[in-house]
Amino acid sequence: MSPLFPVRSIYWRVLLALVAVCAVLAVELWQRPGLPPAAVAARPVSQPPAKLAHLAVVSKGEIPMPSGMAAAHASSLLPMPISHAAAMTVFWFSGDRESGPNVQIAASQYVRATQLWSPARFVVNRFVMGEQLGHGLRRLGNPVAWMDGMGRVNLFVVATGWGGWAASRVLHLRQSSDGNGLAELAFEPVRVLPLSWLWNTSFLVRNAALQLEDGGMVLPVHFELGIKYPMALRFDADGSYRGMVRMSQRPYLLQPTLVAQSPLVWLAYMRDQRPQGKIGVAQTTNGGHHWTDLADLALDNPDASVAALGAASSQMLLAHNSSIESRGTLDLSTSTDGHSWTLVKTLERGSFDDEFSYPALAWADGSLWISYTVDRKRIAWQRMAPGTARAGGKP
Amino acid sequence: MNAHISAWLAQVLATDAPALPAAMAQQIWLHLGWSVVLASLGANLVARWLPGRPGRLDGWQWGIALVLALWTWVPGPYSPAYWLGLAFQAPSISAVLLCDALMRKRFFPTQDGMRITEGISHIALAFACVGVLTGWALLLDTLALLPVQMYVWGFSPAAVGLLFVTALIPWLVGARSKGSGRSFVWVLTVAVLVFVVWRLPSGNVWDAVLDPWLWLVLHVYVARTLRRALRRYQGENR
Repeated sequence: MSPLFPVRSIYWRVLLALVAVCAVLAVELWQRPGLPPAAVAARPVSQPPAKLAHLAVVSKGEIPMPSGMAAAHASSLLPMPISHAAAMTVFWFSGDRESGPNVQIAASQYVRATQLWSPARFVVNRFVMGEQLGHGLRRLGNPVAWMDGMGRVNLFVVATGWGGWAASRVLHLRQSSDGNGLAELAFEPVRVLPLSWLWNTSFLVRNAALQLEDGGMVLPVHFELGIKYPMALRFDADGSYRGMVRMSQRPYLLQPTLVAQSPLVWLAYMRDQRPQGKIGVAQTTNGGHHWTDLADLALDNPDASVAALGAASSQMLLAHNSSIESRGTLDLSTSTDGHSWTLVKTLERGSFDDEFSYPALAWADGSLWISYTVDRKRIAWQRMAPGTARAGGKP
Repeated sequence: MNAHISAWLAQVLATDAPALPAAMAQQIWLHLGWSVVLASLGANLVARWLPGRPGRLDGWQWGIALVLALWTWVPGPYSPAYWLGLAFQAPSISAVLLCDALMRKRFFPTQDGMRITEGISHIALAFACVGVLTGWALLLDTLALLPVQMYVWGFSPAAVGLLFVTALIPWLVGARSKGSGRSFVWVLTVAVLVFVVWRLPSGNVWDAVLDPWLWLVLHVYVARTLRRALRRYQGENR
């Protein structure tokens, strides 16, 4: 037997080890970005109506589908800058069937000049992304869009490995085209987000990010391999990943949606996987450092995705399926305290087997925009504003 | 002064200022890592079916290892790295270094008198036990069954420093090792150093030092080593 590295004196070994550890820490610290500032939620950009209960539908319809595609699901709304030709961009996944091999991420834009949605086009293809990443992506789904501090569209999509949705990872894509008009909009992969040790598997994204004052955001995701739990991921204004925090100790809550009550006090509403489910709630009072579970909302929910929006200071909106057993009814409710909710309007009411699900909310151009899945085949939208106006809208 | 120390400590403990690897480095590592792992596995399998002569390089083992390694570098879906990456992402640096050490031991068995079968390395066994326990903790953390978020610590400089100190313990205490144990005990040190420079494979140091496949293999190694030690003990006391 021989010594591992022949330095006989223990003192020399300790000294050399100390120097080596200090060198490692120095390189570590040198490579890293500075500590992020405290996470402070941004104020809503648009001024909402004083009373959200008076919102009325001004236009509604269906968003054009990519030609020949029979399935559509999980839309995400992205308000565009006021100077942009489009007021809103919507992303969703579409293909022959949900989880089909030809599923891609589709997008359409609501053009201000024409007041119409543009024809949809596919903007993310799994084969192209897989080629750029160097490894395969089995299926794509659940796009969530966010605009970073430099005006680039970032897209977070679920990309599955071997297996179904439970074998998912969250893939971060960033706009690679010069502009973000629909005709030229293109993406390149940034990375698969490192979220867990177990082959980084079973994390999914679904709901919109919470915008921060520093230009960054907090992205809600969830884990769903048997146990379900929500996580909050932080990104800086550059779109760089900064860390993650578990949001609940309860093992049956998924698909969190975030809303700010005040700059540092945020609420997370979550789909509850249990039968006879309600809507789960967690709260942070220190800008996302620590989360505490709160009592469920009184609202019924059939184990279905919900979407929340902070429309103004202490005014919140929630789009949710309101029956225990069916996704056939989709409601819009409002609250000032985050716990007691009042119905604003039933957005859709169908039969037991109908499905109006996976809502997305955004505020832009003085209106509330809502998109949702219809029977997993189409994406519908509604635009609501104060006062009464023409309903019916343009497809 | 205290403020400076507090600020420095906050930086060292911070989990929200990670340095993540460049996309190009991740792609290269995906192919490099799996090429070494597959070459090692391939050579090992061939050696079981077609054992060569001790002390001589075996053409079949070399050939299979070389073909597998080169095949992994083929771009796109014709490469095993494309599908292994889909299922398991990239291997840890430790796994790749261990496969490399095993391969070198197989191909150069007489270089310093090493043999495939040799005595128990207590240091390697100790590290393997720590790896098994760490893997269990990380698995429980993944399933949110721990009260703390252990995986998140892997983004902090403190975790890197702690693992580096752990890696240096055998050398610090003047431990002596024989045969393969001698090269294996340096695996953790080298893995941490490679991570510090290139942030591979994910930017989280846990992913650099231990992956689930390596964790499973460590279970087998620990079980076999303990069984061998038990048999030896029983033989000595018979």
